[in-house]
Amino acid sequence: MKGKDLINIGIFSAIYFVIVFVIAILGMIPVFLPLLVPIFGGIPFMLFLTRVRKFGMIWIMSIIMGIMMLLTGMSWPPLAVSVFSGLLAELVYRSGKYKSATKAVVTNGVFSLWVAANYLPLFFNAEKYWASRQNYGQDYIDAVTKLMPSWMCPVTFIAAFVCGIIGGLLGKALMKKHFEKAGIA
Amino acid sequence: MAGLFTADIENRGLVLDPRTKLAVMITLVVFALGGAGSDIQAVRLATIAVSALPVVLLATARQWKKAAVFGLLYAVLKSAELLLVPQLSGAALSIVGLCCLIFVRLMPSLIMGAYMLSSTTVSEFIAAMHRMHVPQQITIPMSVMFRFFPTVMEEFAAINTAMRMRDIRMGGRNAGRLIEYRLVPLMVCSVNIGSELSAAALTRGLSTGIRRTNICKIGFHVQDFAVAAVSGAVYILWILGMTGVVK
Repeated sequence: MKGKDLINIGIFSAIYFVIVFVIAILGMIPVFLPLLVPIFGGIPFMLFLTRVRKFGMIWIMSIIMGIMMLLTGMSWPPLAVSVFSGLLAELVYRSGKYKSATKAVVTNGVFSLWVAANYLPLFFNAEKYWASRQNYGQDYIDAVTKLMPSWMCPVTFIAAFVCGIIGGLLGKALMKKHFEKAGIA
Repeated sequence: MAGLFTADIENRGLVLDPRTKLAVMITLVVFALGGAGSDIQAVRLATIAVSALPVVLLATARQWKKAAVFGLLYAVLKSAELLLVPQLSGAALSIVGLCCLIFVRLMPSLIMGAYMLSSTTVSEFIAAMHRMHVPQQITIPMSVMFRFFPTVMEEFAAINTAMRMRDIRMGGRNAGRLIEYRLVPLMVCSVNIGSELSAAALTRGLSTGIRRTNICKIGFHVQDFAVAAVSGAVYILWILGMTGVVK
């Protein structure tokens, strides 16, 4: 990997993170984050994939996203997940010899998994957390666990993956429409 | 957004090492957000103390307004969680309870994030990452990214103005093309600026692969030890709590 590749990672990470940031601010209800980020992030990510020729570029971008989440106070699970999902995304795209357009769409889906990890801490230690709040009454515990059941956790990951596929397709369509014509894809 | 890692070096009060800030952030994430050890009374109280730390730090960095707003907001939410929620029942309990639960847990680390980004410069952060032996493959893209944020925001503002003139906006006639007509031009110009940037970076020897030097002086001082002691205390209480020494 050369300097130019590293700079490309930095530039696309910046665009991607701006999208994450804008959605996080606009989406007052944080539930939309794992749905909207993979869709709109798919547009720059698909363009980024056309520049990926060497092993590690997708992985590094994924790790950087995780570090940014830690720095902005979204906790460490995104970093822990992004290290693995990034490597997985890298391997998926590598299996298509860094060329396959179909694999690129799947890569965006896998890459998007870290977004869902932002909600992991709310599911961690749930029982201990509730045990410390017994004085609030069983009503409260029931009410909140009803709104945030533990099956929500895998569902957010699946939602992020599916939206990542949608975003990948959207990005692919836009690439065909604009970037190939302009000669930058 | 454009203010990421753009600390005012002249007027930022007490300077902490970026690594200390990172340690406080991790402590907050583990205890305030992650709720570790929340079955132990002493850890619960210590977590409240550590949660107040980012507000104190904002004040030491002379960011009075931010400190006051965040501090007040957190105090209101935390007291609502402690005093108001047990009194409620039914639907009000669900809504207020869930809001308190999410915001009380998220806020300390988000305030810490705001402090961290507004009190550290990019150079200091990169220097700290070097000291922590983070490989160049991570630090170079990250420094490019921070350098690039203001550019992206500037370009985005200009594109936004142009598209509003064409009535491509929320509630306008061409709302359907809202996203496409903003992101596509943004990416085209970012790619162009990016290739100029990489040419500039290559002339500064970015791709030579040797160890790069940094003019920034970072290191641990009295204030770092004080802050580290406060956050370290929570871990000690947690261990003591698990072995049954304190309750």
